[in-house]
Amino acid sequence: MTDPSRIRNFCIVAHIDHGKSTLADRLLDATQSISKREKRAQFLDNMDLERERGITIKAQTVRMSYVASDGERYILNLIDTPGHVDFSYEVSRALHACEGAILVVDAAQGIEAQTLANAYLAVDAGLEIIPIVNKIDLPSADPDRVAVEIEDVIGLDAADVLSVSAKEGDGIPELLEAIIGRIPPPKGDREAPTRALVFDAWFDSYVGAAMLVRVVDGSLTRGARICMMAHGTERDIQELHVVDPFPRKVEALRAGEVGVVIAGVKTLAEVFVGDTLCLAGKNLPERLPGFLEAKPMVFTGLYPVSSEDFEALKTALVKLKLNDSSLSYEPETSAALGFGFRCGFLGFLHSEIIQERLEREYDLDLITTAPTVRYRVVMPGGEAFEIESPASLPSAGEYDHIEEPMILATIHTPDDYLGPVLALCQDRHGTQRDMMHHGSRVQVRYELPLAEVVLDFHDRIKSVTRGYGSFDYEFIDYRRADLVKLDVLVNGESIDALSLIVHREKAHGHGTILVRKLKEFIPRQMYEVVLQAAIGARVVARTTVKALRKNVTAKCYGGDISRKRKLLEKQKAGKRRMKKVGSVEIPQEAFLAALKLDDS
Amino acid sequence: MYVHVPFCERVCPYCDFAVIAARPLTRELEDRFVAGLLVELERRAPAFDGRRLASLYFGGGTPSLLHPESVERVVEAVHRAFPASPEAAVEITLEVNPSTLERSRLPDFRSAGVARVSVGVQSFQDPVLKRLGRAHGAAEAHRTLAACRDAGFPSLSLDLIYAAPGQSAGDLERDLAEVTSFAPEHVSAYELSVEAGTPFALARERGQLELPAEDVALAMARNLEERLAAAGIQRYEISSYARPGCEAVHNTRYWRRRPVLGIGPSAVSTDPPVSDQTPFGSRRRNLPAVVPWLEGIESGSAAEASPPEVFDAATARGEAVFLALRELRGLDAGRFAGEFGAPPRQFFAAEIDELRADGLVDEDADGSLRLTRPGRQLADTVFVRFV
Ligand SMILES: Nc1nc2c(ncn2[C@@H]2O[C@H](COP(=O)(O)OP(=O)(O)O)[C@@H](O)[C@H]2O)c(=O)[nH]1
Ligand code: SF4
Repeated sequence: MTDPSRIRNFCIVAHIDHGKSTLADRLLDATQSISKREKRAQFLDNMDLERERGITIKAQTVRMSYVASDGERYILNLIDTPGHVDFSYEVSRALHACEGAILVVDAAQGIEAQTLANAYLAVDAGLEIIPIVNKIDLPSADPDRVAVEIEDVIGLDAADVLSVSAKEGDGIPELLEAIIGRIPPPKGDREAPTRALVFDAWFDSYVGAAMLVRVVDGSLTRGARICMMAHGTERDIQELHVVDPFPRKVEALRAGEVGVVIAGVKTLAEVFVGDTLCLAGKNLPERLPGFLEAKPMVFTGLYPVSSEDFEALKTALVKLKLNDSSLSYEPETSAALGFGFRCGFLGFLHSEIIQERLEREYDLDLITTAPTVRYRVVMPGGEAFEIESPASLPSAGEYDHIEEPMILATIHTPDDYLGPVLALCQDRHGTQRDMMHHGSRVQVRYELPLAEVVLDFHDRIKSVTRGYGSFDYEFIDYRRADLVKLDVLVNGESIDALSLIVHREKAHGHGTILVRKLKEFIPRQMYEVVLQAAIGARVVARTTVKALRKNVTAKCYGGDISRKRKLLEKQKAGKRRMKKVGSVEIPQEAFLAALKLDDS
Repeated sequence: MYVHVPFCERVCPYCDFAVIAARPLTRELEDRFVAGLLVELERRAPAFDGRRLASLYFGGGTPSLLHPESVERVVEAVHRAFPASPEAAVEITLEVNPSTLERSRLPDFRSAGVARVSVGVQSFQDPVLKRLGRAHGAAEAHRTLAACRDAGFPSLSLDLIYAAPGQSAGDLERDLAEVTSFAPEHVSAYELSVEAGTPFALARERGQLELPAEDVALAMARNLEERLAAAGIQRYEISSYARPGCEAVHNTRYWRRRPVLGIGPSAVSTDPPVSDQTPFGSRRRNLPAVVPWLEGIESGSAAEASPPEVFDAATARGEAVFLALRELRGLDAGRFAGEFGAPPRQFFAAEIDELRADGLVDEDADGSLRLTRPGRQLADTVFVRFV
């Protein structure tokens, strides 16, 4: 049993490619743990072995053992973190499992956007930060300049910056000593009622859900009955593992330790990252702070191109959901697209990842509608309900008003780009809450409609700040807004799957761009196609796709019959990916035309 | 039979045939090439055993760059390999480009057995020819056509390109006047199509290729058909026009999916069905580049680009329909049923009904199919439904 004073829990944060993975491998080598590569190879070589150990490992969280210069043996838990704003909640939970963070900065590139975003997250989580300048072996390395930059921009003392070459191994012993010396040991109370933070979870096809936890107080022992506090579910602990670097069964995990809990939880949907585990009983302790259920924020309709694939889509969603509790789905029917699902995602990136997996891994051809957020519709009597799709908005006049979800966006940018950042926020209907200057950096916070940020706000922030800005957001509340439903009519017929909810003052502009974009995507067909955008009965924009008049291959002789046939077959396959609405064939891309409204 | 001769004086910027240029066709290369053709003929003839020769087509490229003796050697070898069809004279066609050299060889090609020449005129307007990047001018074209008549070819075909860059309706009008005054037996008129990977495609991407607008191109097509018809040259296929009885035997074989043996680099064969292995026939494609093809032939190893494509019934049916519909006479239900066991409606009822409703296809009482006039403009839209 290791005394908490000999445990250090930390993570590594860095801009991509600055050497996070290489550094992790080097730490594993230096502590005589096995390298990631070997680990992977061994896992692949020996599936039976894995079976016997009982679980698969998803995250790169590992436990290392290290004898420091003071002659004592320490346990070092290196905790892995995900890396995109859509998953910032998960990142912050992982950070809360640590007391320290190694901030890696490339000695040649210097500070970059994610360096800052990650550094701020770590500071917010109250972590001790050990800044290191990596890749000092590079000829272009300038560790001194970068150290000064770290002091100026992030406010960490340049004298505390370590120089490392993760590739050559230089500076690693010093770094290990700094981890022991500078990062505080975990504070938890081993005698207090047990509380453990769930900071990651994954699905193992053998045991069900596996939870990666940091025990904060007390201890978890095999066989104990635990309560997952978010929903009050009780379970018996079947197995406990530490990962050093292979999963190894242990009898107990005590305050300050990190390990895997297997407790007969069948699906991932029952596990919430950020949840607190405690011992079941009458007097439950207070939950650890900061818990948020991962809640879908963005919704799209997913429809199989051919209706026979509906069941296959359903099966695929069930499977994906096993491993991704933040994904939600409900059957939905569209007059234009038939049977499908309204799916909820953490963010736009998350939705893209899931769609790609459905198409690639499950071989489904899908039509995706433009993403929307969840609106609240308040009826004249005061009762309210939420809608996740523009099609389910009642007709104007039937409801009293609509409310939209608002978020608080926190944006960090060098002050050079402050102007464009403010302009962008303003354009997206933002209200400034506050602004703080740290040296040449600025942090601004804006209240913004979620609908204005889900699609491309992150990319836009990146682009107006040349990549140096960072953006993070949290949900605040629902607020009343002047919103209208913008309908799209194809040959006079309203296509529910194309309608959007927009701010009234933007409706006209959006309508005009939307029909123009649709025109680009809808191929010319036998008959003219009329495209209209309308608010209620009022048409705000109109255009036509002219009838196809000429479509004929001039030459077709011996040399190219097969080629011509293949071209025709390809066209036919393309048609299969189109949805026939009335007599008009609408390609998949058209349903996403709303995404392109900004690059008019 | 088809013989591919991949040599051209220079490569036209819109061409996507397998051709090589900028290298003079030396006598040595020509002899080696012709020897290769003869070896290939011998190798491949058994697959066509028992068949009679209906046509022999020298295409390219520019086959008239070959010496007449070379053409004659191939013609003789083919005659030795296959007995002639008893029904009609074997149609032996040679593609010719207007040039002094080739013109001088015309009488000898005639004596080598060539009865039909297909002249790559494309246009009679110098500015249009120039923009097409052709090596010849209008005067050259005139002289070549006259020489063809003088050499006594009984059948003369002329290639035209319309809707070419910068071409006006008037340009085409003048071309048609020239064509009708020459009174050829056959005309092939192609709307210029910009094929991927050609210099024209690049120019179009850069916005440097100015093609006639859609309605101009449509009007050109209409004018072409009417003017030729008035001169007794009737449209009989999407791009082909002929005096009655002078339709190209060779090309018609493609549209009716008849077996064709192709030799030479990039040549394609449609092999006849072999009852239990390939009941719907198969297609083979030769290596496209001259040297690898030659080396394959000479060493007795593979000269084909890929394994043969063996047709299943569905693929064969699709091809049979879209090829036959290219001809104005359309798809003969009886002939189709002979090969596939039932008339087209049996396999394509929904497609035929929709296409009829859209006015693109006509159907006879016996189930034969034909493109309507609007259907001919939208032929690919129709064909897609059958593949
Ligand atoms: N020269 C040099 N290259 C390094 C060093 N550390 C990492 N790299 C290289 O930098 C690239 C990115 O490293 P990686 O660890 O994958 O970065 P990550 O994206 O932060 O995980 C890889 O090509 C590494 O080999 C170093 O100390 N010196
Ligand atoms: S002459 Fe004909 S085959 Fe030769 S390059 Fe020109 S278009 Fe192509």
